[in-house]
Amino acid sequence: MNASAITIPHDHGHSGGHDDGHHGHVHLQYQPGLPLSRGKLIMWLFLSTEIMFFAALLGSYVVLRFGAPVWPKPHHVHLSEPIGAFNTFVLICSSVTIVLALEAAKASKTGLAKFWMLLTLLLGSLFLGIKAYEYQAKFSHGIYPVHPRGLIYERPDLYYGSAVRARLGEPAIIDRLKDLDETPADQLTAEQRTARTSLQQVRKMVGSPDQQPFDLAVVADQIMPLPTAHVGGDHDGGHNGHARGLNDIFPWLRLPIVIPGGNMWASTYFLLTGFHAVHVAVGLLVFAILLGYTLGPKNAPMIENIGLYWHFVDLVWIFLFPLLYLF
Amino acid sequence: MSTATATTPSLTHGDAHHGGPQGGLSHFLSTYVFSKDHKVIGLQFLFSTLLWFLVGGLLALAVRWQVAWPWSDVPVLGKLFAQQGGQMAPEFYTMLFTMHATVMIFLVIIPILAGAFGNFLIPLMIGADDMAFPTLNMLSYWFMWPAFFAFGASFFVEGGAASGGWTSYPTLSTNVASSPSSGWGQTLWLVGLTFVGVSSMLGSVNYMTTIILMRAPGMTMFRLPMTIWAMFITAVLQAFALPVLTAAGFMQLFDRTLGTGFFSPEGNIVNNAVPGAGGGQPLLWQHLFWFYSHPAVYIMILPAMGMVSDILTVFARKPLFGYRPMVYSIAGIAGLGFIVWGHHMFMSGMNPALGITFMVSTMMIALPSAVKTFNWLGTLWGGRIEFTTSMLFAISFVSMFIIGGLSGIFMAATPVDIFIHDTYFIVAHFHYVLFAGTAMGVWAGIYFWFPKMFGRTMNEFWGKVHFFLTFIFLNGTFFTMHILGAVGFPRRLADAYHYETFHHLQPLNAFMTYCAIGMVASQVIFAANFIYSMFWGPKAGRNPWNANTLEWTAPSPPGHGNFDFQPVVHRGPYEYSVPGVDKDHLMQTDPPNEAAARAAAAAH
Amino acid sequence: MNSRIAGIFWALLFLLVPILGVAVFAVAPAYDHWLPKNVAAHGPSIDGLFYFILALTGVVFIVTELLLFWFMWKYDASQARGPATYVQGSHTLELVWTIIPAATLLFIAIYQMNAWADVKMRRPRMSPTVEVVARQFEWRLRYPGRDGTLGTPDDLFLVNDLHVPMDEDVLIQLKSMDVLHSFFLPNLRIKQDAVPGMKIPVWFKATETGSYDIVCAELCGWGHYKMKGRITIESREDFNRWLDEQYAKQEATQPEAAAGAAAD
Ligand code: HEA
Ligand code: HEA
Ligand code: CUA
Ligand SMILES: [Cu+2]
Repeated sequence: MNASAITIPHDHGHSGGHDDGHHGHVHLQYQPGLPLSRGKLIMWLFLSTEIMFFAALLGSYVVLRFGAPVWPKPHHVHLSEPIGAFNTFVLICSSVTIVLALEAAKASKTGLAKFWMLLTLLLGSLFLGIKAYEYQAKFSHGIYPVHPRGLIYERPDLYYGSAVRARLGEPAIIDRLKDLDETPADQLTAEQRTARTSLQQVRKMVGSPDQQPFDLAVVADQIMPLPTAHVGGDHDGGHNGHARGLNDIFPWLRLPIVIPGGNMWASTYFLLTGFHAVHVAVGLLVFAILLGYTLGPKNAPMIENIGLYWHFVDLVWIFLFPLLYLF
Repeated sequence: MSTATATTPSLTHGDAHHGGPQGGLSHFLSTYVFSKDHKVIGLQFLFSTLLWFLVGGLLALAVRWQVAWPWSDVPVLGKLFAQQGGQMAPEFYTMLFTMHATVMIFLVIIPILAGAFGNFLIPLMIGADDMAFPTLNMLSYWFMWPAFFAFGASFFVEGGAASGGWTSYPTLSTNVASSPSSGWGQTLWLVGLTFVGVSSMLGSVNYMTTIILMRAPGMTMFRLPMTIWAMFITAVLQAFALPVLTAAGFMQLFDRTLGTGFFSPEGNIVNNAVPGAGGGQPLLWQHLFWFYSHPAVYIMILPAMGMVSDILTVFARKPLFGYRPMVYSIAGIAGLGFIVWGHHMFMSGMNPALGITFMVSTMMIALPSAVKTFNWLGTLWGGRIEFTTSMLFAISFVSMFIIGGLSGIFMAATPVDIFIHDTYFIVAHFHYVLFAGTAMGVWAGIYFWFPKMFGRTMNEFWGKVHFFLTFIFLNGTFFTMHILGAVGFPRRLADAYHYETFHHLQPLNAFMTYCAIGMVASQVIFAANFIYSMFWGPKAGRNPWNANTLEWTAPSPPGHGNFDFQPVVHRGPYEYSVPGVDKDHLMQTDPPNEAAARAAAAAH
Repeated sequence: MNSRIAGIFWALLFLLVPILGVAVFAVAPAYDHWLPKNVAAHGPSIDGLFYFILALTGVVFIVTELLLFWFMWKYDASQARGPATYVQGSHTLELVWTIIPAATLLFIAIYQMNAWADVKMRRPRMSPTVEVVARQFEWRLRYPGRDGTLGTPDDLFLVNDLHVPMDEDVLIQLKSMDVLHSFFLPNLRIKQDAVPGMKIPVWFKATETGSYDIVCAELCGWGHYKMKGRITIESREDFNRWLDEQYAKQEATQPEAAAGAAAD
C-alpha cells in the first residue's frame, strides 16, 4: 500500500500529563492530523464550545429584544455609555498586555513577562471593579430581577397602583413617613421639601379607591421620572442623566417603578454581562496562579493558551458593548 | 518486557501478562476509582449507566402499569411510593415518565455511547496509549456524579422529582405555582442537566483532540473504523450543540430562582398566584431546547451506527459496503441535524411558513440515513454470515432502525403531524430508534467488546436467549404503539380512557404492558450472563472474532498503555476475505505482503 | 443445535418483522383501532397523505426487511462454500439509492405543502367565531354574542362545551392563561398548542353533525389527563338556537358576569 503513509512522524509534545512512572510500556508514536500541540488544539475546541454558549445567549437576547413591544433606552435604566466605552478600552488594553507577556516570556525575559501579566491581572480587575460599580447603580434604583417579581412594572396599571400602595403600607415605611411628615421644613433641603409635597400627593392618589390610569402615570413619574428624547436626555441635571425622583431623594422608599420593557432588559443585561464577568473572573484566577510560576519559554504555551482564552473573552465583550449600550 | 520485542509489531505474545499497575492496596484508589486510564473510566461509565438503565427500565414499567390499568394498585413498587395505598397520583405519573426519559437519555444512552464505548474504544482503535488529557477524562466521569445525585435526590424532595416532561417546557417548568413538583424537583433537574452537559463537553473536546492528534502511524483519517468516525462526529455535535442547552438551562434556572422572565410572557398568572414580571417568550425555550436535542438524537444513534457497521463486517466477513459514503453520510446527518430542530415545533405556534422549511430539511435528513441503511444491506449481501449474539443484535439494529426511521417520515410531513403530534405514534417512533435501535446497538457492542474489556467471553447460548426474548417483547411493546398513535391516543396522559375516542384501547395497552414486563424480565438473563462471564467466562485471546481493527492486537484486557508494541497501520479496517490471501482477514497492522510478513517473523 | 438450523431460525425470526408488521396494520382497522372518523373538510387531504406515506414507507419497509431476511437466509456462513464476495462498494448503486429517495422525499415535501397551508396558513377572512382560552385544567370559551365582536358586554361565557355550526368556516382564537396546552380535535384533524402570551388562530369547516372529544395534547400539569371538552357540530339553526338558550341562561344566572369581563 501507500508507503509514504507508513513513515513514522515525530511525536509532538506528549503534554497530556501522563506520568511515565509505570513499568516502561511502549512509548507510542503518532501521526498527528494537525500541526498543533494538544494543549492548543483542545483550547481551540473548548473555545468553539464557548462560542456556541455565547451565541445562544446573544441569540436569545436578540429574539427577546426584538420580540418585545418596547425596550428601554439606555438612560431609562441608568446605563452610561462613557463608562461602558471606558471599560471596553480597559479590556482591549489587557488583551495587548497579555500578548506582551507572551512575547517577553518567549524571549526569556521572565521579569518583564511577570510585569505584563500582573498588569493584565490589574486591568482585568479594574474591568470587574467598574462592572461592579455599574451593577451597584442598577441595584440602587431597584433595577434587577427578583423572585417572584421585582420592583419594575411595565406600565402604570392597577397592579402597579396596588404595589405602590402595598409598599407605602409596610409598617417600617409608615414609621419613616411619619418622621418625614413631622420634620420641620427648615431641616430639609429645598429639593426634599418639594419632594415631600409630591410624596404626599402620591400617597393620596394611590390611596383613593377610584384612581385612574392617568393618575398612576403621574405617580410613576414622581417616583422615577424617565427622561424622554426631547427633554434633552443627558444633561438636564440630576444624576446619571435623568431628573431625580422620589426614590432618588428618599432612597429608603424603594417604591415600585415603571420602566416599559424594563424587566426583560434587566433579565438579559444581567444574564449577558454576568456570564461574561464570570469568564473574566476565571481568566483572572488563572493569571493569578500563573504569577506563581517562572514565566519563561517553558511556560509560554500555557501563556499562549490562556491568552487565546482572554482574547475570546475580550471579543465577547466587543459584541456585548454595542448591543447593550449603543443600540 | 524488553524494548526490542516491544517495538516489533508482533502478535505472538498472545497472553495478557503485560498488565497494568498491580500494586497493593495503596494503588487501589488510583487504579480503580480515580483512575486516569481510559479503559477504567470507560468501564466506570459502563457500570454506572447499566445500573441507571435498570432504574429507567423500572420507571418505564411503572409508566406502563398506569397506562394499562389506570389507578389500580401498583404491585411491589406501589408500597414504596404509596400515596393512596399503592395507587399512583396523576402528578406522580407525570413525574414517572419525565424521570424515565431523563434517566434513559441523559444517564443511560448518551453516557453509555460516548462515555463507556467512546472512552474504551477510541484510544484502542486508533492505536494510542490513552486519551490526550487523561485527567480531564477522569473529570468527565466524575462530573456525572453530581448529576447522579441531583437526579437521584430529586425523587425525595418535597413535591417529588421534575414532572414537566423531559422537554421541560415553560411555563409549566418555570412557574413554581403551576405544578406540585415544579419546586425543588425541577431545579435539581436543571442542575443535573448542567453537570451532564459539563461532563459531555469535557469528553467531547478530549475525544476530538485524541482522534486528531494521536492516531498510530499509517492510520489516516480514511483508515479509521466507522466506530471512530461516528465517535468523532458525535463529539463535534456535542461540542456545538450542547452549550446551547447549557445556556438555556441556566436561563430556565434563573427564571425559577432569580425571577428573570426569559420564558414567561408578561403578567402570566398561574394558579391565581402573583403574576410574574415576565416579558419573555415560551417558544424561545423550545427553540433552544430542540437546537440541542435534535442533534442530541443523533448523538444518541451515530455511535451505535458506527459500532454496528464494524460488527456487521466482522461477522459477514466482508468489507464494509461503501466506506466513504458511510463516512460522508454520518457527516451529512450531523450537518443537517442542526437545521431541522423545528420539526418538533410544528404545532407549537411557530410561524407555519417556517414549518415548511423545517419540513423540507427534515425530509432531506432521511437521505444520509437511506445511504447508511442500503450500505448495511450491501455489506450483508454476498457475505458469510455468522450468527453470533453480537451479530444478531447488530442485524436487529438495522431492521429496527428502518422502522423507527420510516415512522419519522410521517411526522416530518407537517399535515400528518397535525394529527399524530404528541400521540403514541411519536412514542413508537422514538422507542424504535432509541431502544430498538440504539440499545440493541449497545448490546451488540457489549457482546462484541466484552472479551476486550474483561478478557473473557460472554455465554453465547444465554446471549441468544436474551436476544430472542428482547426482540420479541420489544416489538410487542412498541410496534403496537403505532396503532395507538393512529387512533390519536395522546402521550403523557395518566388516564385516557375517559375519552370516548380512546376508551376501547385499554386491552391493547394491557397487551403492551405484558410485553414490557417480559422485556424487563428478560434482562435478568443479560445481567446474570454479564456478571458471571466477567469472572468465570471462558478466557478470550487477543482476537477472538478474527477482526481487523487495532484493539484486537492488544492483550485482552489491555494493560496500562494499551499496546505492547508500536502499532503501525498498513490498510483500512475492513479487509475481510481478500482474494488471494490465505487468511480470511488482514489486520490493519499486518505487514503489506507475505514477504514482509516472513521477514518480520524471521527477525523475531 | 445444528448451525444451519440456527441460521434458518434467525432468518425466519427476522422474516416475522415484515409479516407481522404488515399484519398489524392490516388488522387494526377491522377492530376500530384506526384513524377516528373524520368530520372536517380538510381531513381527507391529511388522511390521504397519511395513507400515501403509509403505502410508500410500507413498500420501503417490506422491501428492505425482506432483503435482510433473504441475505440472512442465503449467506449463512454454515452453508456457504468459498469465501465472501470481496466488494468495496459501488458508485452506481450509491447514486441510485441517494437519488431515488431524494426524489421521493422531495415529492412528498412539495405535495403536502398545500394541505399544510390550508390548515395553518390560509386563514379565512372573518371575525372569530369563538375565543378558546385554555387554563389548568379546562377550556374556557367566549362567544362574541349577538353583535359579533369579542370583548363587548354581550359576550357569552362557557366552559368545555364548544358548539360550532356545520358547513361553515369556523375561526377560533386560541389563547392560554397559564401554561402550554394543546387544542386537539381528533375527529377534525386539528391540533394547535395554546401558548401564554400568544393569540393563535385555528380554523376548520365541519362537514357532519355530531359530538366529539376535545383533548388537551400538551402536558400542562397534574390534571393534563382530564382536561377534556366536547365539541358539538350542529346545523346553523340549531347552533343559533343553542346560542340563544345559553345566552338567556347566562343573563338569568349572572347578569354581571358579562359586564365585568368586558373590562379586560
Ligand atoms: C435516536 C434518536 C432519533 C433518531 C435517529 C430520529 C430520526 C428521525 N426523526 Fe425523530 N425523534 C426522536 C428521536 C430520534 N429521531 C425523539 C426522542 C423524538 C421525540 C421527542 C419528544 O417529543 O419527546 C423524535 C421526534 C421526531 C419528530 C417530532 C414529532 C412530533 O413531536 O410531532 C419528528 C418530525 O419530523 C421526527 C422525525 C425524524 C426523522 C425524519 C428522522 C430521520 O433521521 C430518520 C431517517 C431514517 C429513515 C427514513 C429510515 C431508513 C431509510 C430508508 C430505508 C430509505 C428510504 C426511505 C424513504 C424513501 C422514505 N422525530
Ligand atoms: C433511550 C431512551 C429510552 C428507552 C431505552 C426507553 C425504554 C422504554 N420506554 Fe420510554 N421514553 C423515552 C425514552 C426511552 N424509553 C422518552 C424520551 C420518553 C418521553 C418522555 C416524555 O414524554 O417526556 C419516553 C416515554 C415512554 C412512554 C410514554 C409515556 C407517556 O407519554 O405517557 C412509555 C409508555 O409506554 C415508555 C415505555 C418504555 C418502555 C416499556 C421501555 C423499555 O424498553 C424499558 C426496558 C428496560 C430495560 C430493558 C432495562 C434493562 C436493564 C439492564 C439492561 C440492566 C442490566 C444490569 C446489569 C448488567 C447490572 N416510555
Ligand atoms: Cu391542558 Cu394538557
Ligand atoms: Cu428531531
